Amino acid sequence: MSRKLLVTALAVALCLALAPLALAKEIKVGGIFDTTGPTSDVGKDYAAGAVAAEKYWNAKKVLGGDMIKLIPNDYAYKIPQAVTLYKKYKDVDRVFVIQGWGTGDTNALRPLVNKDKIVFLSASYDGNLTDPKKNPYNFFIGTSYSTGIRLALTFAKENKAKKVVFIYPDHPYGKNPIPAGKDYAKKLGLQIGPDEIVALNAIDATSQLLNMKKFDPDYAWIGGTTASTAVIIKDAAKLGLRTKFLVNCWGFDENLPRLAGKAADGRAFGMLVVAPFGANVPGMKDIMASAGGKSYSLHYVKAWVSMMVMVEGLKRAQKAGKLNGPGLKAALETIKDFNTGGLTAPITFTATDHRPNTACAIGGVKDGKVYIIKNVTFPRKKEYVGW
Amino acid sequence: MPCGLFFEKYAKDEAIFPTLWLKLWMVALGVALLIFPWFAQILSDLMGINLLNLFNLILIYIVGAHGLNLLTGYTGQISLGHGAFMGVGAYTVGILANLGWPFWLALPAAGLMAAAVGMIFGIPSLRLRGLYLAIATMAAQFILDYAMRNWTALTGGSSGLTVPQAELAGFSFDSDFRFYFLALAFAAGATMYLKNLSRTRTGRAFVAVRDRYLSAEVIGVNLFKYRIMSFGISSFMVGIAGGLWAYYITIISDEHFTMWLSVQYLAMIIVGGMGSVLGSIFGVVFMVTLPEILLIPAEAMTNVFPHIFGIFASLRELLFGLIVIAFLIFEPDGLAARWHTVRAYWKLWPFSY
Repeated sequence: MSRKLLVTALAVALCLALAPLALAKEIKVGGIFDTTGPTSDVGKDYAAGAVAAEKYWNAKKVLGGDMIKLIPNDYAYKIPQAVTLYKKYKDVDRVFVIQGWGTGDTNALRPLVNKDKIVFLSASYDGNLTDPKKNPYNFFIGTSYSTGIRLALTFAKENKAKKVVFIYPDHPYGKNPIPAGKDYAKKLGLQIGPDEIVALNAIDATSQLLNMKKFDPDYAWIGGTTASTAVIIKDAAKLGLRTKFLVNCWGFDENLPRLAGKAADGRAFGMLVVAPFGANVPGMKDIMASAGGKSYSLHYVKAWVSMMVMVEGLKRAQKAGKLNGPGLKAALETIKDFNTGGLTAPITFTATDHRPNTACAIGGVKDGKVYIIKNVTFPRKKEYVGW
Repeated sequence: MPCGLFFEKYAKDEAIFPTLWLKLWMVALGVALLIFPWFAQILSDLMGINLLNLFNLILIYIVGAHGLNLLTGYTGQISLGHGAFMGVGAYTVGILANLGWPFWLALPAAGLMAAAVGMIFGIPSLRLRGLYLAIATMAAQFILDYAMRNWTALTGGSSGLTVPQAELAGFSFDSDFRFYFLALAFAAGATMYLKNLSRTRTGRAFVAVRDRYLSAEVIGVNLFKYRIMSFGISSFMVGIAGGLWAYYITIISDEHFTMWLSVQYLAMIIVGGMGSVLGSIFGVVFMVTLPEILLIPAEAMTNVFPHIFGIFASLRELLFGLIVIAFLIFEPDGLAARWHTVRAYWKLWPFSY
């Protein structure tokens, strides 16, 4: 009996799985996500958001008869694994657009992406990717890390900071924006202390913080993800440091107060490149509906917007009759002041500047909840394209 | 006419391919492997796997697994540092190729460099055995891992190193299709080398050291020499594998050459069969193919259960552990032994005694 049931269930599952094949044309989208690696604390929600967005746009029949088929896969934050997945997407699935993840792998794949003319939307907001002269096929949707640092340092300066320190993991994600940050800190006349390295999977940051205590900075930048940020902040509270922390966009979310407890209150300030999950903005309604009652972090929203921008590009490319890599690239570059329903600041791409925007919000934590302190904008200057 | 194998000379008994049929089968396999790339695209589309990429990885890992099998399977010296030795090979290629060294010079250099490093870390094997040697080689793994990550000037640190494509006499191995032949040549070469090595005086000395080192020493086998030699040859092969891998992926970063890779190498030869040439091949095929196979149901089912790929991603590691345990319990001699049983069965079918 149970065997029969199993066979039936398998058959049904198979039919369901194969059913969409019979439908209209498919636009395959490669997905490179981290759900098991060192950044899986934020990667899981991102992957979930991308998958949910695919369902949403397909249900809306946004591309006429054409369906979007996202192929999500985990690469455990390993660059070679990302290369293997890339080769599969290119040769077997023949995609012309990929939703990617980390800074290390996105930068490693740059030469291949440019050679193969595949549009690569990354979850890495590395400033390095914003120069179309070098990386014509790289796009992303959030305020770049280096712009984020500049905004954070401006915020620190406004709050009478004199000394700052940079804390980051030894990973391209952590390291790449640091030169831009130091350069700007010097421009603002801030004193820079020695860097501290805290790994993404750290469970203790006491020794680094004790080191930092000697310099006693007013503010410290954290370029990690939520788990390691929580560790740093908890240890700082334990050691009674007066330093406040400015956290990069992947280290500051709804889970931070949950992980860090009271320590985050008034001590952690984060770059919010998208509206927090469940925020009161028009674009959030569809997201909440897609989540089906489950609660996610704001990284879900980031993936949602990344898919939204991709779909907008596909729509425009389809209208132009050029549904391929160069066509999508050109279509994305026509996007101007694109309204994401308040999820992010309006997004603009041009042929000479792939920075989506230069505005974000600075968030704080009060009573275990993330709230927006203020919206900040950095002047969109030419000299900052590409870093 | 004899109804079985009756060898009248030892040389015939020792032949690599003792029967005509076996020779024919080997020729057939060789031809199949040589013409495979032309059908790879069709087969890939059919199966939804990037077959050419899979085969290239298998062929590269075969070179490395042969290396570890020589050390662990034949000489009985365990090593938990082979992941790092592969990294030494890869980084040697990365650094030298960026300095403008040609492929035919950089690759042997990678092997030699790995051999040198392997021999240095193999020195404790004179005094240490078993678990203690495992820990000593693990130290090599951690030291080299740390160097790869933190010696930024040399290795590019966590950002990695870009490697130019392999080029031989003006011919660039710039696609999976072209690289396949290069990898195939090296895998075949390594296989032949190991098979022949095990039949020489040196090979027999290795086996003597493995089976009972005291007796080996009594009958005049220089333990130190052969242990270090085994470490050297073994690391050379795994270094070559690393070099090939660097040329293939074209981007190297430290996160690939961790303890995990060392354990994977060990798992490959355990699953395949220690002390068997066929074993390392089976082991590599099994271990490299398994995660790819697991992707298929995950991708097929994402339409119904959108988040299933995350579950399958974790399942991979779980299954990996289970398989190694299962093999240790049920088939300690590995897939190669199972292969021989199956072959013996079919050879006599349907008239088995």
